[in-house]
Amino acid sequence: MEQILANGLYLGAQYALIALGLTLIFSLMNVLNFAHGQMYVFGGFVTYTVVAQWGLPFIVGLVASAVILAVMGALIEKFLFRPVIRKSKRDESTMLLAAGIAFFLDAVILLLFGEKQRGVPKIVDGVFNWDMRLIMPYDRILIGVLAIALIVGFIALMQYTKAGRAMRALAQDRMAAQLMGVDVDRYSMIGFALGALLAGLVGGLLVTITGINLGMGGPTSVKAFMMIMIGGAGVISGAIAGGFILGMMESIGLTVLAAYGDITYLAIFASLMVFLAFRPQGLMGKPWG
Amino acid sequence: MNKNLVGIAAFLLAAFVLVPVVIAATGRWDLYYTLTSVALLAIGSAGVWLTFYIGRINIGQGAYALMGGYVSAVLMTKVGFSFWATLPLAGLFCAGISVLIGLPILRLRGVYFAMITLVLTEVTRLAALALPVTNGAKGITSIPLPGSLSVFGITLIPDFATMANPKLGFYLLAATLMVLSYVVLWRIVSSRLGHLCRSLQQNEELAASIGVNTAYLRVLTYAISSFFGGLAGAVFVAISQSIYPSSFAVADSVNFMLYCFVGGLGYVTGPMLGTFVLYFGWDLLSIAKQYQLLVYSSLMIAMMLVLPNGLLSLFDRKGGKK
Amino acid sequence: MLRRTLLKTSALAAVASIAMLGTAFAENPVLKIGFVGVTSGPAAAWGTSNQRSMETRAAWINETGGYDIGGTMYDIEIVSFDDQKDPKRAIAGMEQMAQEGIHYVVGPNVDDGAAAVRPVAEQNGIMYFPYAFPKELYTAPASNAVLGMVANYQSGPAIYKYLMENNGVKKVAFIAGNESDPLSQRDSGSAAAKALGLEVVSDSVTYQMDTTDFTPVLLPVIQSAPDLLVLSGVSPANAPQLIRSARELGYTGLISTETAQDAAVLQEGAGELANGFISVGGASTPELASDMMREFVERYTAMFGEYNDESNTKVYALEYILATIAANPAALTDVEAFKATMDTFEAPNPYMVGDAKLKYVGTTSFGQKRQVSVPLVVNVFNNGAFETMFVAQVD
Repeated sequence: MEQILANGLYLGAQYALIALGLTLIFSLMNVLNFAHGQMYVFGGFVTYTVVAQWGLPFIVGLVASAVILAVMGALIEKFLFRPVIRKSKRDESTMLLAAGIAFFLDAVILLLFGEKQRGVPKIVDGVFNWDMRLIMPYDRILIGVLAIALIVGFIALMQYTKAGRAMRALAQDRMAAQLMGVDVDRYSMIGFALGALLAGLVGGLLVTITGINLGMGGPTSVKAFMMIMIGGAGVISGAIAGGFILGMMESIGLTVLAAYGDITYLAIFASLMVFLAFRPQGLMGKPWG
Repeated sequence: MNKNLVGIAAFLLAAFVLVPVVIAATGRWDLYYTLTSVALLAIGSAGVWLTFYIGRINIGQGAYALMGGYVSAVLMTKVGFSFWATLPLAGLFCAGISVLIGLPILRLRGVYFAMITLVLTEVTRLAALALPVTNGAKGITSIPLPGSLSVFGITLIPDFATMANPKLGFYLLAATLMVLSYVVLWRIVSSRLGHLCRSLQQNEELAASIGVNTAYLRVLTYAISSFFGGLAGAVFVAISQSIYPSSFAVADSVNFMLYCFVGGLGYVTGPMLGTFVLYFGWDLLSIAKQYQLLVYSSLMIAMMLVLPNGLLSLFDRKGGKK
Repeated sequence: MLRRTLLKTSALAAVASIAMLGTAFAENPVLKIGFVGVTSGPAAAWGTSNQRSMETRAAWINETGGYDIGGTMYDIEIVSFDDQKDPKRAIAGMEQMAQEGIHYVVGPNVDDGAAAVRPVAEQNGIMYFPYAFPKELYTAPASNAVLGMVANYQSGPAIYKYLMENNGVKKVAFIAGNESDPLSQRDSGSAAAKALGLEVVSDSVTYQMDTTDFTPVLLPVIQSAPDLLVLSGVSPANAPQLIRSARELGYTGLISTETAQDAAVLQEGAGELANGFISVGGASTPELASDMMREFVERYTAMFGEYNDESNTKVYALEYILATIAANPAALTDVEAFKATMDTFEAPNPYMVGDAKLKYVGTTSFGQKRQVSVPLVVNVFNNGAFETMFVAQVD
């Protein structure tokens, strides 16, 4: 039991961090960023290149991922999403753009980093073993703690800084925020950069545990979509809740349903659909997000 | 109106006469399959387009294509039905299922509906892996080619296995189905139903308040949409003579949606054009070797920047900007 | 002005180089061999290693004067098609091959693609060499597919038997990804283990292909306390993570798989935790590799920057196609001649030391010779490299 909870917590922390970036971008610009998973993969590969290929310390790789992804996000917002949103008749058109960017990043990742699975050496050795009841490798604990620290840091940023307040205002009511003198373009760009930065950070963190390969992008996006659906799209607390709930569901489901074979995910997905039928806006979302 | 009729006649002529003649003349037999694929995928995207028409982003058409494929495959191999009987049954099965699924999920809107349909695709794949009737992971293989279809002793369609060129047969079948689908689509859009759908797309609450039965309308359009998906899936199964849980996956669902966007959401023929351009585009770009995906995605992004409302918006009158 | 001259000179240079290329190629007729597989997206690794090994070999042949078929030297050209792991695209790829007049195609890489291209291949007279295991592809009435590797239902029993006899394995557990190929391999592996008298303690646990944490997945499997954990049809991306999670959960038994793996990937992903991991590979371990195999690895590395150990098993299909055509030049355009030759074909295996032979096998599994005979080399991973555990043959 302790093991299941610990696994769920660890999974939840990493999931929540992925979902945060996605939900931030969604709340600011009403864009469902299909390329979020690819950004995460890109971040992982950057860390891999810096740490495993160039032999620099892990923290340098992590910072490099964050910076590169933030710049990438800012550029994507400024030169791609902004003009398209301005010109298109329907909001949904941005989905095609996002999908195009996802394909593009897939292609770039394949060309730059190759088709192989990559990983960096463990940053901490050893396994925490509490009487065989709870087994957790130290590096996993470290990454889990780091992820939670980042989540806390992100919330603090959103709550207590000027940029955070501006972005929350934007998310609540774009028009009103603009009238109140918030520089909408500027904070949209910062928000998108921040979302991409989070994706890059998760990639950098997880490359030490699970490694990275170019196939992980699409499925990661889909999982992140599910998390923000559970919690409610565009709501920060919802994304965190969604991440932890999905993590727990996987951990418990895999243990309880293991005997029945291939149905764990079927059960998770099906229950999600039933849940949304009863609560269409997720746990904490605004209706019709 | 006249102009439209000329256009339709020209299209029919091109599809049913010109294409076979040109292929016979140039010897590019491989184009038959490519065009067949385009036609079938265009049927699927026609369904997606219809859900866009009521203001729902549908990323779940792959699920219905897979279901339709399995219905056709199971009926043919386990019950011994003829392909021609399974074709409408596949569509009807999907329409029926979509009513059950649609009733709860069509209450969702925006990204919620989009994401739940995406999840539906994955659910269908996992269900196909887990259910005994689908033969699970091993798929259903060695499915016979469509037999002959005769009504009152008159053979309408000969047995595909005895055809000299089954490729041509499949092409004509797919093209016919596509034309029929788009006729249906066009009829819907220009009918009273179409007007009601547009009212849903613009403002659902308002439509409901003036007495439109929105729930009924949503489920009806979704069922028609899914019927198209099932139809496309069933024909694909007949061509590949096999089906696996991965025959239609999340990537297909996303592609169906992209075809609609590329063609343009405001035009009935948009999904057809979008399918044609994206499918052919990928094939043509194979000359770019390892840069194929890079060039393909770059063009897609560029198109989005220049024509965010779809290719067909090119022909819009000036001043139609938002 | 400057621009115009630049344009002119570059155009001239282009024309000149094309002309030179033309003369260089004009010496030999060209034999086109197709490849239909996945080289982009999530499963890119499978097709990429495949395509690259074919291109490496083709470039090598062309550089050394071509391939001798019936007294004529042929240059080899590889025509590739990326099917994006979509069976519907794979059909289009096969149609394209038929259009180009190609009769020999390597691929597709997965079950659904291989099944989907069957009608096209049979209608157009194409022999294809899939890396997929469904038996109906290779048993009559199907006759155009040739299995390009050792199937898991052949290698699995050999490995289990060896481990039973040498390591005293009694209890075995299976874990597979929730996809067609791995699940089919798990089912046949589990059946084979039972037939050998092993106790299968767990064979129902599966994982999503995009799992990022395998600890919860593996927990119930490890609790069933097997002596041998089989990772059925595991992709090279997932293998290191599975191994790592199993070891970190305190599992001390053996771990094996029946798919090919890459040593560098294992080393990066699991480090010394992967020591002792048993997988099926080609003959590139130092004890078995011939000079030709070593040169192949060198050329591959020079061409593409980094070698992929999965290519060891994928170098063979092209070699078989060419050698069989050379044995019966009529097969250049006539696949029936190719099929007839398959029954008696035999040639030395250039990639392996000793007197190993290239020949077609599969009578036991498929009732007809529709499989290339590659040595069943079972490797064990040790500190960043593979060592040969044992070698067996499939009949």
